[in-house]
Amino acid sequence: MADRGRQYLILADEDLISLVEAADADAFATLYDRHSRAAFSLAYRMMGERQASEDLAQDAFLKVWRGASSYRAERGSVRTWILSIVHNRGIDQLRSHASRRRTQDRIEASAPRSQPSEAFAETWRNSQRDQVREALNTLPSEQLKILELAYFSGYTHVEISELLGLPLGTVKGRMRLGLKKIRDYFGSRDATVPR
Amino acid sequence: MSEMNNERFEDLRDAYVLGALPEEERRSFEDHLAAHPERQAEIDDLSAVAGLLAFSPHEQEPSPELRNRVMEMVEAEAEPRHVSRRSVFARIGDYLDVRSLALGAATLLVIGLLSWNVLLQGQVQDLQGQVQEAQDQRQNLQAQIEEAQDQRQVQQSQTIELEGSWADQGANAEVASIHENKIILVAKNMPSVPEDRTCQIWVINDDVPKPSGLFQPDGNMTAAPVTNSITKADVIAVTVEPAGGSEKPTSDPVLSAEL
Repeated sequence: MADRGRQYLILADEDLISLVEAADADAFATLYDRHSRAAFSLAYRMMGERQASEDLAQDAFLKVWRGASSYRAERGSVRTWILSIVHNRGIDQLRSHASRRRTQDRIEASAPRSQPSEAFAETWRNSQRDQVREALNTLPSEQLKILELAYFSGYTHVEISELLGLPLGTVKGRMRLGLKKIRDYFGSRDATVPR
Repeated sequence: MSEMNNERFEDLRDAYVLGALPEEERRSFEDHLAAHPERQAEIDDLSAVAGLLAFSPHEQEPSPELRNRVMEMVEAEAEPRHVSRRSVFARIGDYLDVRSLALGAATLLVIGLLSWNVLLQGQVQDLQGQVQEAQDQRQNLQAQIEEAQDQRQVQQSQTIELEGSWADQGANAEVASIHENKIILVAKNMPSVPEDRTCQIWVINDDVPKPSGLFQPDGNMTAAPVTNSITKADVIAVTVEPAGGSEKPTSDPVLSAEL
């Protein structure tokens, strides 16, 4: 097992997914070790507390295990696929929880910080993270706030409009401009958006 | 809700990729998308942009218990799935037995049975084809593993062992080049560090250390990508830092190697 595990360390994610599809638990363990930190970090950002985040990450990784055959390389990397599973299931859970936090505290917590360095103080693991951080730093705070409320807190555009007391058209407009600005960030550097 | 048209599709697409459409609108949007597959690429591109937000949260370390729980469930399911795959062989055996009977009976019975037998042979061939395909896939993957292992052995000269106080305590760590630009640090028997600390890799050039990856040592085996090139570096080192890592080393290296 140790030798096999060592061999798996040098396989690409796409190869590991093929092995997972064939019920190879060791290949799955390698994928888990590569991506669990990113998946858990996203889960924690969405759920806001450790137990619910672990439940979400567990749920998502079991879906990876059981649904490896649904991965499509042409739609993006394995890492992006795993994170999209975490995100989609996180939104489902946030919307289904009766206790979903709709308090002002929650809104304030997810609001952009007046001190960006505090928001992004952690060391980023790789250059992709650095690029994403820089791209998000270019967003005006009102655009970033709306993207975060939608993406991490699971609010619909109508709910965001009500929470912030903004016209729905303004919310949609800020979503559009925020995403465009992130795309333009990469375009201006002749870089492709990581997938 | 109003009927989906191109204008409305474009009005809602940003909210869709952010997961911010109410259920009914989301279904309507996806129905429209299914009817207009030529727009899928545009949505995939926009989804990739929205998906970048997933990379932005502060890094959090999942507990080892989570890994244990997930792996317990996976390993429990892995065995039945192997059994299920073996059952394909059993099913073929069943079919082959029936086939023999059918062939024997064909000498005694009517042409209708022969027709049935032909049909059955087709099914057997289909199943045999599936098994062959599965075997081919497995052989291909095995070949890939062996090829990758061979490549790694060829690159042994690019494997560098790290030394230091942790190595003296029995830790075994090395950096290996696995592709042209991909370097990983593989370590085993590493001492554990408290939850509020983490191991940080540094690539040092002209006495300037660059943060090059974080990892939480695992008693068994740990692998972490080295996120900066070591091509022109002088030293690669590992220090123990506060959780989340540091901009500059705050402690002496526990492992290092001159390059």
